[in-house]
Amino acid sequence: MGSSGSGKTTTLRLINRLIDPDEGTVYLNGNDTKTMDPVKLRRKIGYVIQQIGLFPHMTVKENIGLIPNLEKWKEEDISNRIDELLTLVALPPDLFRSRYPNQLSGGQQQRIGLARALVMDPPLLLMDEPFGALDPLLRMQLQNEFLSIKRKLDKTIVFVTHDIEESFILADRIGVMHGGKMLQIGTPSELLFEPANDIVSKIIGAENKFKAIKFLLAKDVMIPLKNCVIESDISCKEAISKMISDKIESYIIKKSNSDISQISLIDLLNEKDQEKSILGLGTRVNVVAPSDTLSSIISLLKLSNDSMAVVIDHGKVLGVVRINSVLMNLV
Amino acid sequence: MTNIIDTIISVWITHQITLRTIQHLYMFSIALIISILIGVTLAILVYSNPKLANVWFNVLNVIETIPELALFIFLLPILGLGEKPTIAACVLYSILPIMRNSYTGLAYVSNEYVEIAKAIGLTKNEILLKIRLPMALPLISSGIRVAVVYIMGIVTLGGLIAAGGLGVPLQAGIYRYDIPAIIIGALWVGTLGVIFDFIAWIIENRLARRFNPW
Repeated sequence: MGSSGSGKTTTLRLINRLIDPDEGTVYLNGNDTKTMDPVKLRRKIGYVIQQIGLFPHMTVKENIGLIPNLEKWKEEDISNRIDELLTLVALPPDLFRSRYPNQLSGGQQQRIGLARALVMDPPLLLMDEPFGALDPLLRMQLQNEFLSIKRKLDKTIVFVTHDIEESFILADRIGVMHGGKMLQIGTPSELLFEPANDIVSKIIGAENKFKAIKFLLAKDVMIPLKNCVIESDISCKEAISKMISDKIESYIIKKSNSDISQISLIDLLNEKDQEKSILGLGTRVNVVAPSDTLSSIISLLKLSNDSMAVVIDHGKVLGVVRINSVLMNLV
Repeated sequence: MTNIIDTIISVWITHQITLRTIQHLYMFSIALIISILIGVTLAILVYSNPKLANVWFNVLNVIETIPELALFIFLLPILGLGEKPTIAACVLYSILPIMRNSYTGLAYVSNEYVEIAKAIGLTKNEILLKIRLPMALPLISSGIRVAVVYIMGIVTLGGLIAAGGLGVPLQAGIYRYDIPAIIIGALWVGTLGVIFDFIAWIIENRLARRFNPW
């Protein structure tokens, strides 16, 4: 992420050797790219650009099948692969296979561009502002589709954008570039809460952090929990001694995947029947998923008039979101 | 009216215009095919060695300035009279428009397409064959259209050097001051020219829509 002229596109072009570095080395899975044949290298790297990028004289099928054809794949394999990819990018193959790019909308062209980049199943995908030329509504839709495709594919993607929102929505890690230098690489919350310097904080818009509630996810803002979770059936007495030895004041009790309670040391001490199992005690707390956004967590807490939610992923307690401390960080 | 039709029929028969048309189109097609092959090949060669571009274009420009008749005379000692020098002259004249257009088409394909082709892993030759050549087709075909008109004219002139074709009835008409033969011959050559130009125009248009639709 970075403003125009910060060197984002140049970085991409260095990776697939459209430019060779004056100094330094580009490593791909530990191998120096300079030792590889540039054509073979590029065929193993998917590339999607902002401008149309599809060849106007080729049909959708020919565009996607261009490299497989040159690689002498069997005609049948190419067809199957193309249909598979068109389905992945949500375009019915029978309708789109034989169209020309000028018979497609901007969004459809961009999807075909993505399909073409994926055809050789490359481990690495380079995307240069692929949604830059689209109108905001379509852009949002394609971003969402891209997110779900990204999850399905499980590939390394280097995605260039000048749009902070886009980078927050799409990225796992964001590298902030300015004046040809990589200033900081980190998760959205790292960049927001611990910017490396003033330029980063200015580019990220750190003074307007509250805007980030739409993008920050539960997993970004939660406080990780290690030994404060009790799943087993123990008595109050045992729980109290465990708490004292672990020097903690409060336990999260997991009764089932969705039934999570919290109990504090004081509550436990006030319990008359000390032999009673703690599974029947405690107050129920809100449960959120790691990919829930901060804004949805805030709405949930507002509804239940609570100040804390527990983050659970596939039945595993990851941490808690304490809304007070999160909000303190945002201003 | 019947008079006119009678005259046309009599001129057509006495001057063997059907036969002359076949000869004419025979030379026309051979010359056109050879010109296209040579013109496009040269364009690709020159495109691959741009240093030679100026030399080639200058040589062809010089040939282009030689009057057709003078060219026939230059070719006389080498190829004699008849079809061969006529076809050779047609080819020499037509290479330039075809080659110039093909070269322009190859060299000025939008850089965006060349870049993306390179980025997804096409070699230089693959870019030439799969991207540049097809995208240059509309320009190549407009060069061929120019050549079609040139060749029509020069083949007609071939009548002067015993090549046959539709130049013969025209020539005969001029020598004998046979006005109906001149008019009918000229109109027929003109009509053929217009028809072929029209066909070439349709092809050019189709290619433009297919290969350069922006």
